[in-house]
Amino acid sequence: MNSIRSVLEGVGSTLILFMRSISHVGTLSRQKSRFIEQCYVIGYTTLPIVGILSFFVGSVLALQSGYSMQDFGTQQFIGALVGLSMVRELGPMMVAILLAGRVGSAITAELASMKVNQEVDALVTMNIPPAKILVLPRLAAVLMMMPVLTVISNLVGWFGGALVCKYTGFISVEPQQYFQALRHVVKFKDVIDGICKAEIFGFIVVLVCSSIGLSTRGGPREIGAAVTKAVVSSLVLILVLDYFVTKLLLAILS
Amino acid sequence: MNNSQQTARVGLFFLLGLALIYVTYETLSGGKTFSRSGYTVVAGFPNLQDLKPTDDVRMAGVRIGSVYVTRLGKGRAEAVLQIDPQYTIPSDASATIVMAGIIGTDYISIDLGTTQAPALKDGAEIKTKITPDIASIMTQMAELGHKLDSALSSISNAVNGSGPDGGVFQKFNRLLSENQTKIDASMTNLQEITGKINRGEGTLGKLVNDSKLHDDLLAAVGDFKATASEAKNVMASAQTVLDQVKAGQGALGVLVYDKQAAEDLKFTLHDIRDFSDKISKGQGTLGKLINDDSLYFGLQGTLKKADRAMDGLNDSGPISAVGSLSKSLF
Repeated sequence: MNSIRSVLEGVGSTLILFMRSISHVGTLSRQKSRFIEQCYVIGYTTLPIVGILSFFVGSVLALQSGYSMQDFGTQQFIGALVGLSMVRELGPMMVAILLAGRVGSAITAELASMKVNQEVDALVTMNIPPAKILVLPRLAAVLMMMPVLTVISNLVGWFGGALVCKYTGFISVEPQQYFQALRHVVKFKDVIDGICKAEIFGFIVVLVCSSIGLSTRGGPREIGAAVTKAVVSSLVLILVLDYFVTKLLLAILS
Repeated sequence: MNNSQQTARVGLFFLLGLALIYVTYETLSGGKTFSRSGYTVVAGFPNLQDLKPTDDVRMAGVRIGSVYVTRLGKGRAEAVLQIDPQYTIPSDASATIVMAGIIGTDYISIDLGTTQAPALKDGAEIKTKITPDIASIMTQMAELGHKLDSALSSISNAVNGSGPDGGVFQKFNRLLSENQTKIDASMTNLQEITGKINRGEGTLGKLVNDSKLHDDLLAAVGDFKATASEAKNVMASAQTVLDQVKAGQGALGVLVYDKQAAEDLKFTLHDIRDFSDKISKGQGTLGKLINDDSLYFGLQGTLKKADRAMDGLNDSGPISAVGSLSKSLF
């Protein structure tokens, strides 16, 4: 009973935070420096790990599907498989999971420590809403950076797959053939689909992590608990929402 | 890190992202928005099968453009082909839809045509050839398979047999098993015979193994040859005789080929027959002589008398002989 109540509390506080942040959208032009800083943290500093992870995700995808496909002699279609999987599913999801681990945890830790150290209370006392200066720049930054990260992830994944296809003995598919199959199957619509998903995931990760951080009560121990809770909630939400968002996008576009 | 550096990095990063999105778009849509250069050619087909925009257009295997759009025309399906400007298509070249892969990677194949034909202009219509799609081929293959199946089953019925007699193989098998001993004996005999031949026993063996016999045989054959040539000569002379007969020369020739002589011969034969008839009937002197007994008896009596007269003559001398002879005669 207590746990259900806490879940409902979490959903409610997240929605309230979302509404409050949206209501301050007009002030974004005056928070340019905060926005740029958050863009830097969310986008620029996340790039290396996104690149490395996407490369290996694409590689292992090509390797596994090549291993399965060699029984049917359909290796020339690996490009299509890797391309479509990266663009529609793995690219956005990998970026969102990395964002939850790397950025979401940082946001929760920062906001929770501010809350525990009563800095948030001080802001409220000075009539500065925390949603305005702490949450809104982050939400705007994540919306701005997610497409960039996703597209980089897609392309790096594609090239990882192409390299594996070229240099793996039992696959032996030339990059030209790989990209021809990819081009034949992957449409730009699929890329847009993937970017839409990434935007939704990124927005939810930042919103949930901010909400959990700002609702922390207690001492330093609660900061760690809040970070754990934020990351776990984000991952669960990403994977559960992934199914419904995919279904929704397929229904809209078809 | 100062603030402006951070701003620059974020700006750079964002622009990089935008550029990559654009690159992706260009890659996937085949550069349709950016490079609509070249000219278009319309190809009409009864069925475009699995052809999609951005599929390749190849001339003799070389990529010369792509399918720009597919649409329905008047009673046919049309594919608008975007051809790169450096390539020209002769007006007598024809286009076909070719299937390159199993999962439907079709392309349009244009043959080379002839070089003297004028090149197609922008928006012109290219000649097309209908290619049978895989489904119709498969249907035909299935029919063929059924026919082959029935043919094979009838063959296998003939071979394996379905009736009480069984097929060819069963019959053959029965024949073999029933005559096993005979066949064995025959084989043994055959083996013996061949062994003898091999060892040079018997005529055949000598024939096979003895070289002298071979020489003799050769000489005999030579004799035969000589005889044959002589026979040929004989035949040749017979031929000349026959030729002469044919030509009506010589007695035989006259007999065979002269009509008048034949007629004469016929009459002669007829007369002879008449003559012999009369004789047999007893007509005429000769006939009577032959057929009439009385004459014979008369003659016999006369001869007896003559005999007696001779006897008397012996006794009474020549005068009484003449007297008794004239007495007996008259």
